[in-house]
Amino acid sequence: MIVTIQGVVKRFGAVTAVDAVDLTVADGELFTLLGPSGCGKTTLLRLLAGFYQPDGGTIRFGDRVVNGLAPYERRIGMVFQNYALWPHMTVAENIGYGLRLRRLPREEVAQRLQEGLRKVNLTGFEARYPGQLSGGQQQRVALARALVLNPDILLLDEPLSNLDAKIRIQVRAEIRRLQRELAITTIYVTHDQEEALSLSDRVAVMRDGRVLQVGPPRDLYERPRTRFVADFVGTNNLVPGEVESRAAEGADMVVRTALGPLRAIANGAVSARCVLAVRPENVALGPAATGEGNRVAGRVSLVSYLGSTVRYDVETEAGLVLKADIRDAWHHDPLPVGRPVTLSFPSSVTLAVADDA
Amino acid sequence: MRSPRLVLGVGLIWAFLILFLVYPLGRIFYDAVTDEAGRWTLANFHEFFTDRFYLRSLWHSMILGVATVIASSVLGITVAFLLVRYDFVGRSLFSYLTMIPIISPPLVGVLGFTFILGRAGTVNVLLMDLFDLLRPVNFLYGIHGVVLVETLHLFPMITLNVVDALGKVDPSLEEAAESVGARGWSKLWRVTLPLTTPGYVAGALLVFIWTFSDFATPLVLGVQDLLAPQAYLNIVQFVDRRIFRMGIVISALMVLLAVLFLLAARHYVAIKDYSSLSYSRVARRRLTAGRQALVVAFLSLLLLLSFIPYIGVTLASVGKGWALTPLPVAYTLQYYERVIVETPKYILNSFLYSGLAVVVCVLVGVPIAWLLARSTVPGRGALDAVNTLILAVPGTALGIAYIRAFHFDLPGFDRGLTSFWIVMPLVLAVRRLPYTVRGSFASLLLVHRSLEEAAGSVGASGPRTFRDVTLPLIWKGILVGGLFSFMTSLQEASAVLFLALGGWESITNGIFAFYIAGSANEAAALGVILIVVAAISVAVINRMAGTRMGGVFG
Repeated sequence: MIVTIQGVVKRFGAVTAVDAVDLTVADGELFTLLGPSGCGKTTLLRLLAGFYQPDGGTIRFGDRVVNGLAPYERRIGMVFQNYALWPHMTVAENIGYGLRLRRLPREEVAQRLQEGLRKVNLTGFEARYPGQLSGGQQQRVALARALVLNPDILLLDEPLSNLDAKIRIQVRAEIRRLQRELAITTIYVTHDQEEALSLSDRVAVMRDGRVLQVGPPRDLYERPRTRFVADFVGTNNLVPGEVESRAAEGADMVVRTALGPLRAIANGAVSARCVLAVRPENVALGPAATGEGNRVAGRVSLVSYLGSTVRYDVETEAGLVLKADIRDAWHHDPLPVGRPVTLSFPSSVTLAVADDA
Repeated sequence: MRSPRLVLGVGLIWAFLILFLVYPLGRIFYDAVTDEAGRWTLANFHEFFTDRFYLRSLWHSMILGVATVIASSVLGITVAFLLVRYDFVGRSLFSYLTMIPIISPPLVGVLGFTFILGRAGTVNVLLMDLFDLLRPVNFLYGIHGVVLVETLHLFPMITLNVVDALGKVDPSLEEAAESVGARGWSKLWRVTLPLTTPGYVAGALLVFIWTFSDFATPLVLGVQDLLAPQAYLNIVQFVDRRIFRMGIVISALMVLLAVLFLLAARHYVAIKDYSSLSYSRVARRRLTAGRQALVVAFLSLLLLLSFIPYIGVTLASVGKGWALTPLPVAYTLQYYERVIVETPKYILNSFLYSGLAVVVCVLVGVPIAWLLARSTVPGRGALDAVNTLILAVPGTALGIAYIRAFHFDLPGFDRGLTSFWIVMPLVLAVRRLPYTVRGSFASLLLVHRSLEEAAGSVGASGPRTFRDVTLPLIWKGILVGGLFSFMTSLQEASAVLFLALGGWESITNGIFAFYIAGSANEAAALGVILIVVAAISVAVINRMAGTRMGGVFG
């Protein structure tokens, strides 16, 4: 089912939590709303669920306008951040509640309940109460409860944020597998950019109630269009500058910065003032004058051993600190703090983006 | 989003509150500032504030309230700290027993004290025999006696609230204090005690207002120069209209003062909300054997004093010929026979009125709690304020207000509401409404909204969600609040003493009537019945809600 959001606005008093958002989610897509807390992503999800009604704009599920409909009239399935399992009902009762509300025949309820339990690998847990389950199991019950109703849309509100790191990755994979199998249109809210990148077909980055950029994970990571997106998704070295020679989008251009003139590729609508974004993994670190493209000299100010990589903080002569990653940490002898080094990064990985800070 | 049903419900709730709370209170204020002909005047207040006797009563009432608060705070806070922070032999038993004095019905408590500590009570008889004292020691008769009786009755109110507040203090705050070098008294004085002030202030306010508005205890102890006894005495003499009006003026003044104290306390607490929901608790410290002995001795002595009324009342209810002897000379069940078999009306009336009052409390109180916790209807602040106001309004004043407000003839009848017995459960319901509202509200807060939203997301409508999800999760809270309302309705003395007419007397009316008529034994038998019912209720509440009864008072 296609979800169409057009000009949706939601205000709480003087605060505009969702500010004229337009989005289209394709049928069967896993679409993620990503942003820091307070960016409006949860409000937007709750507008889709029907817990809030928009102050303006329309929301369509397929061809059906759902504005004004109560949650129980929308054919949605929702998974809550705190699981929201009813503590006075067993696992079976939790999952079967929606089915019983629909007055389905007893055999069908039982059969769909078993099917739901099997989908989330909880067969045999029917008689347990939520308090007797681990966090991961509780979240899977919540997922099953949403899925047994065969909803048109699945809504997930930070479903993994209360789980331990290891379990989180496990449940994440499970959600992705189920979503693919059922080909159900899914809208997923998170503030964890790694989760968003690993899980989604497409991601919308939000800030202050607005959508800044929408695209597949790789686009967001490799082609951020604004400073905020470049900074929020992954790690970036950000260098403010002014455009010296203008060029068409995608073409090489020169930007004046505190580090001297640097060659970059324009990405998005870049005005005279812009920000250069370079990922640490694209910055090479050498003793002197090696590497191609842009070159910056500096001294090692901090070495962080991260296991698979070693991250260097290098303080340039202009006082700006740039980060560079050595990916083959296993075979790398760390440089001492204070050692003079040269950083180099090709213009093809140096993006000039709009400064929206 | 505003459904007609919601609007109707809110309208009915406000209609109830306005008719049975706001209007009667407004009526006594109107009376207080008008003369017989209905003309606006301040003469009544002028009379009050130029009359030396009334001024002395006001001054004494204040002193009594403050002294009782100080005394119950010292005891209550000490006990709370011992119970929460230290481990000693019999701790959990003491923890339960400490709550018992609070359920002592107001009149019964003071009667019990007179049997043991009165002029001809057990202690004085023993003292005179042993030491050849010529005159009995005056333990009770006078303001000091009122302070003693009220303190031993009310200190658990402070204990409950401080125990509750201590449970909400995040242990890391105290650990932080220790990390910067605060220890022992300085930590207690600068960090721990201030953190418990919001809970403590709520308890202290209730102790003050309770003492301030209790007229029965002072009257039994022969103290008349206090506001509440003056209001009572002026009202129950129906002869002099001038004095009757002064009774109303005093009631209005009491309401005004109680509300002022409430506002001051609310202001103080509102700017100091420290409670943080923490899952960890400060570990109890095991005391050395010597200190344990001290603590146990202290608590035992305190409880012995607090249990004096129970011992006294129980002995009096089965004792014959108890005069000028330490203990009764013979035992009998004839007083129980008289109050249970011969005149069962006291017990029947009390249970009927209190039962009906609880029904009204639940019907009105649960929707109020729901509106406060869940809805966005305008006027929720006012609803909350009115609900808290009820806690502050002295029962004496409400009883007097009902007499004043509802004696006009009802349409279609040639009598007023005050001549129908239904006024008794109504006044009880209004008095006890806050307990039900608070009990239900606290339970609703524990039910996370997402549990209800989840039901909406799988297809349940609003009422259906309430039935299948909300109600199963909060019924215990409603029951606890309802049971508490029931128990305290049975014990209500102040308001119903004014309103009861022949044939509708409740147990507390009976106790008062028997005592005044000189049949203290029958009064004691009724008292024991009240205590037993209360003890059972508290045991059930304790089982269901743990020891967190503090929330009901806070």
